[in-house]
Amino acid sequence: MASKFGLAGGIPERRVRPIWDAIDSRQFKTALKITTTLLSKHPHSPYALALKALILERMGKSDEALSVCLNAKELLCRDESLLMDDLTLSTLQIVFQRLDHLDLATSCYEHACGKFPNNLELMMGLFNCYVREYSFVKQQQTAIKMYKLVGEERFLLWAVCSIQLQVLCGNGGEKLLLLAEGLLKKHVASHSLHEPEALIVYFSILEQQEKYSDALEILTGKLGSLLMIEVDKLRIQGKLLARAGDYATAANVYQKILELCADDWEAFLHYLGCLFEDDSCWSNETINAPIHPPKFVECKLTHLTDEVFDSRISNASAFVQKLRAEASNDSLRNPYLAHLEIERRKFLFGKNNDDDLIEALLQYYSRFGHLACFTSDVEAFLQVVSPEKKMEFLDKLMKNSNSLSAVPTKALGQSITLLKTQELIGNMFRLSVGELEGSAVQMAELYRKNLPLSKELDPQESMHGEELLSIVCNVLVQLFWRTRNLGYFVEAIMVLEFGLTIRRYVWQYKILLLHLYSHFGALSLAYERYKSLDVKNILMETVSHHMLPQMLASPLWADLSNLIKDYLKFMDDHFRESADLTFLAYRHRNYSKVIEFVQFKERLQHSNQYLVARVESPILQLKQSADNIEEEESILESLKCGIDFVELSNEIGSKSLTFNEDFQSRPWWTPTKEKNYLLGPFEGISYYPKENLTKEREANVRGIVERKSLLPRMIYLSIQSASVLQKDSSEINGSLADPKISSELKTLLERYAKMLGFSLNDAVDVVVGVSHGLKSYEAFGSDIIDWLNFAVFFNAWNLNSHEFGQHGGECTPGSWHLVNSLLESYILGKVRSMEPLIQSPQGDLPILVQLVTEPLAWHGLVIQSCVRSCLPSGKKKKKSGSMDQSLSLLTHAIRDAIQSLCGILEEVAKWSQDQINSPEDNKIDILVSPLRRNGQDEGPGQVFHIFETLVSSPNETELGNRISQALRDWSPVDVARKIVSGQCTVLSEFWRICESKIKSLKTLKQQIAQV
Amino acid sequence: MTTIRRFCCNDLLRFASVNLDHLTETFNMSFYMTYLARWPDYFHVAEGPGNRIMGYIMGKVEGQGESWHGHVTAVTVAPEYRRQQLAKKLMNLLEEISDKIDKAYFVDLFVRASNTPAIKMYEKLGYVIYRRVLRYYSGEEDGLDMRKALSRDVEKKSIIPLKRPVTPDELEYD
Ligand SMILES: CC(C)(COP(=O)(O)OP(=O)(O)OC[C@H]1O[C@@H](n2cnc3c(N)ncnc32)[C@H](O)[C@@H]1OP(=O)(O)O)[C@@H](O)C(=O)NCCC(=O)NCCS
Repeated sequence: MASKFGLAGGIPERRVRPIWDAIDSRQFKTALKITTTLLSKHPHSPYALALKALILERMGKSDEALSVCLNAKELLCRDESLLMDDLTLSTLQIVFQRLDHLDLATSCYEHACGKFPNNLELMMGLFNCYVREYSFVKQQQTAIKMYKLVGEERFLLWAVCSIQLQVLCGNGGEKLLLLAEGLLKKHVASHSLHEPEALIVYFSILEQQEKYSDALEILTGKLGSLLMIEVDKLRIQGKLLARAGDYATAANVYQKILELCADDWEAFLHYLGCLFEDDSCWSNETINAPIHPPKFVECKLTHLTDEVFDSRISNASAFVQKLRAEASNDSLRNPYLAHLEIERRKFLFGKNNDDDLIEALLQYYSRFGHLACFTSDVEAFLQVVSPEKKMEFLDKLMKNSNSLSAVPTKALGQSITLLKTQELIGNMFRLSVGELEGSAVQMAELYRKNLPLSKELDPQESMHGEELLSIVCNVLVQLFWRTRNLGYFVEAIMVLEFGLTIRRYVWQYKILLLHLYSHFGALSLAYERYKSLDVKNILMETVSHHMLPQMLASPLWADLSNLIKDYLKFMDDHFRESADLTFLAYRHRNYSKVIEFVQFKERLQHSNQYLVARVESPILQLKQSADNIEEEESILESLKCGIDFVELSNEIGSKSLTFNEDFQSRPWWTPTKEKNYLLGPFEGISYYPKENLTKEREANVRGIVERKSLLPRMIYLSIQSASVLQKDSSEINGSLADPKISSELKTLLERYAKMLGFSLNDAVDVVVGVSHGLKSYEAFGSDIIDWLNFAVFFNAWNLNSHEFGQHGGECTPGSWHLVNSLLESYILGKVRSMEPLIQSPQGDLPILVQLVTEPLAWHGLVIQSCVRSCLPSGKKKKKSGSMDQSLSLLTHAIRDAIQSLCGILEEVAKWSQDQINSPEDNKIDILVSPLRRNGQDEGPGQVFHIFETLVSSPNETELGNRISQALRDWSPVDVARKIVSGQCTVLSEFWRICESKIKSLKTLKQQIAQV
Repeated sequence: MTTIRRFCCNDLLRFASVNLDHLTETFNMSFYMTYLARWPDYFHVAEGPGNRIMGYIMGKVEGQGESWHGHVTAVTVAPEYRRQQLAKKLMNLLEEISDKIDKAYFVDLFVRASNTPAIKMYEKLGYVIYRRVLRYYSGEEDGLDMRKALSRDVEKKSIIPLKRPVTPDELEYD
């Protein structure tokens, strides 16, 4: 950090060094002390002040830090004679940035650059400020100034990148690209280019303008030699040629690539694309393209005549033959996959029936069937053939299974592939219960028999046959779905736990387990499994969908809060630091990364999950504090009374969303977070699409965010509305009974109703109808929580409005009664019909939790607000004389409401308590005994039995020490006990929530009794 | 079957199935992005059919004078693509870039002393244990510093093993 003359910001370096040392070793107090001494010598040194501010900020004293910074800034800007060095400015910059005042840092640099217009260092600092602010236009202007000043290639490219960013991420028109191109052209003419990255940016500028032949000319010219890696160069060339429509030459280029890298699958697809003059593989390059593109390879063939197709395809075949012959080892899969792709195209073109494709698949199996990636390799090919053909393929594979490889690990691999193929084509859904059981048993046997193969393996390594247990689990869950026999479900859990006992690292098991435990109401256990996956950093964006949705409807608030907080922190940290990393890319001249980083940040900012988390986070806080209106109000205050969220709700319709979740690893029964087949009855669906159903999900997420982000504001307004009512209007002027509150709440109610598909009046009719028993709860559909919320907020509004007189008029109990009866009959109906958790996975617990922690809690807040405003407050002199009639009516209504809520909660609490208290051993028995019906060859327990036998007498010489020891550690009763206690944890938390509400209501009851 | 290309940010959203492996660390964003911003040629990903991520390698080049060297920070392959020479290919690519483009003297890496499969692989690829680094991993597990000489180190001086183990603060680069 030392400047050239041994001076740092005008202060001798030796005086400054100890300060930095102290800061670096986090000795902030010491640092502050030295700085204070320094400041006494140099009271007007902006640098010393900047250091002080930096230290204060680190110590958490943001306000002081800001004022010191502002002081320094003022000195800098006022005193013309002062030194303006980058060190001072960059130190100030750091502090301003940490204090979220980028604009102030920028204005310091702007001022400095104005004063010293030819100082390159300061200009770079200013450029950096604009990078941080994503001010692409100003970046461009600054870069151009630097370029004009010193003529360096890098500054030109900074400008070019800034232009490109305006077009890609800002609102710059495409014609700006022409400007960028002009700048580059001129520079190349006079100075040429020296960085490969510069060339790559040049190409992308040309490509964006579809000037492919210009780009090609440059590539094949002298500049092309900047690209040192031959294949990279060829890839660019191939793409440019193809985009320019010169498919024949492009195909030759791709041939060359394949000759160099025979295993390059993408190059092969492009090669075929060129042969068939089909540009569909390049058309998919938009920024918001899904992160997990469909596996299906797009292709267009219809524009080809028969003859053309024939000749091209035979060229391709010949080339693939040649590749295959030349391949140094025949473990290269590409040439064989290429053959499959050729057959697939023939089939799609109508040249062949699907027999040839099936034949090619069989050949592929005979060569690569033992590999774990076989099924994912062939998935796209199987997709195009008819269901009958798929079955035929499977039958043929089965026949093959008599002639497995002589190498045991290979034979095992082949067998597993067979099973995975069966899964892939959905055959499981066609088998009878008996057949499914048989196949589960067979797989478990296969696993058991092959266990000795892993005897010598290091525990860090995947074991042979590990995948079998996942498949067994899938089959058992299927059996559970069909028969609703809980035994299969528990058995599925046991299988995976068994697998983890043998090797504890298998993340695939953990994911399956966490879903099974979630479904079983043992959410705390699911969360344990989730934590053991060590999901952190960017994985939170792609993997947390396994856990977050269930947690949102759970009483495990502390865990949920951590989950959301960690995730939001990760995202927000990234947004904060991303610009600095972008600047790093500028500095290191990796210009293509500049564009990439900015686009990536945008992608994350538009993440649907991020939006949902941002809305759910305050809602969680509001739930957590709902029993204490003062706390609730201070949370609302920190949320600006929900105004920003209303804004979000308004905007969400027009915001573009990204979907970055990786659903690949989700179990078949819940392919997306919105779907869980086990909740519904068994349907003989034969194919479970695993693709992102992005369109559908998009509408869904928008709906959720739109609705939920109204909640904070509606809660706020409801509290307000309920707290002004009793001050009877004759006495008080308009300021308290604020008509604005009433009208705003009405507007929001109208919007809420509209989202539910109704006008306000009609929605009110629906809730009234249901509460009077004229309509059934079916009328609410799956939006029950939203409907009840609506009823609660409607009541709050009605307290302060005269519009819906027919429902009770001023402060009369009509709308109170409406809410009480809706909550009571729905919640109690649920509780009374619920089976013990231990016998009924999922059930209605999540909905019950939501009912209590959302609509019921919001209603509780309305009550609290009413009670508070009924109480004589210290400040105002107590109204003497008789209570007026409306107040008495109101207190009556409140008493009823309290009574009603207490009644509901007590029953719910008792239900939870009963579940918790039922004897553990009984519950364990319910789980384990159905599996221990030895000797049965029907029903659950057969797979379990195989493992029990294995465990009872492990053959140590065969299995080795480690596996034998693990087998001895296996205890199914422990697993059952963990399930039971996992459920109890959830129930206890729920019980605690109920109890706390009851307590708060009882206090209110006493208070209202005194009015 | 395998397309090897530069790693890009979007790949971070697609590598979950590779990174859930317990031996593969998921670093923070600034770590990945610093590598991308500074050494994009040392960060490669292998993609299979259906754009599946099969594995990736990340590394850098650094050092002064004769210790100018390539460094492998992480290499990992998804379980279903293992033992198909993929890690070898990725390693060879990094070695080639260090050798031919950056003219480095050697390539080095750290590996957990308990990660036998990886150590076996590195040995197979010609790496030798240059020294042991005590408690390198979170102050607990020892690390092995393994090296392979490149063509510029004609006498293979860079890989003569040290006699004694070192502590993390003795390391020249992190
Ligand atoms: C280590 C790892 C990268 C190997 O990947 P890979 O693609 O399977 O390795 P390759 O197929 O290229 O192996 C090349 C050679 O290394 C050796 N090798 C690889 N894995 C081995 C193992 N598990 N046991 C013994 N030798 C092994 C073999 O000699 C192999 O050649 P061969 O198959 O012809 O015998 C992979 O197992 C992995 O991702 N592990 C988890 C992450 C990790 O530990 N990374 C290293 C620390 S940063």
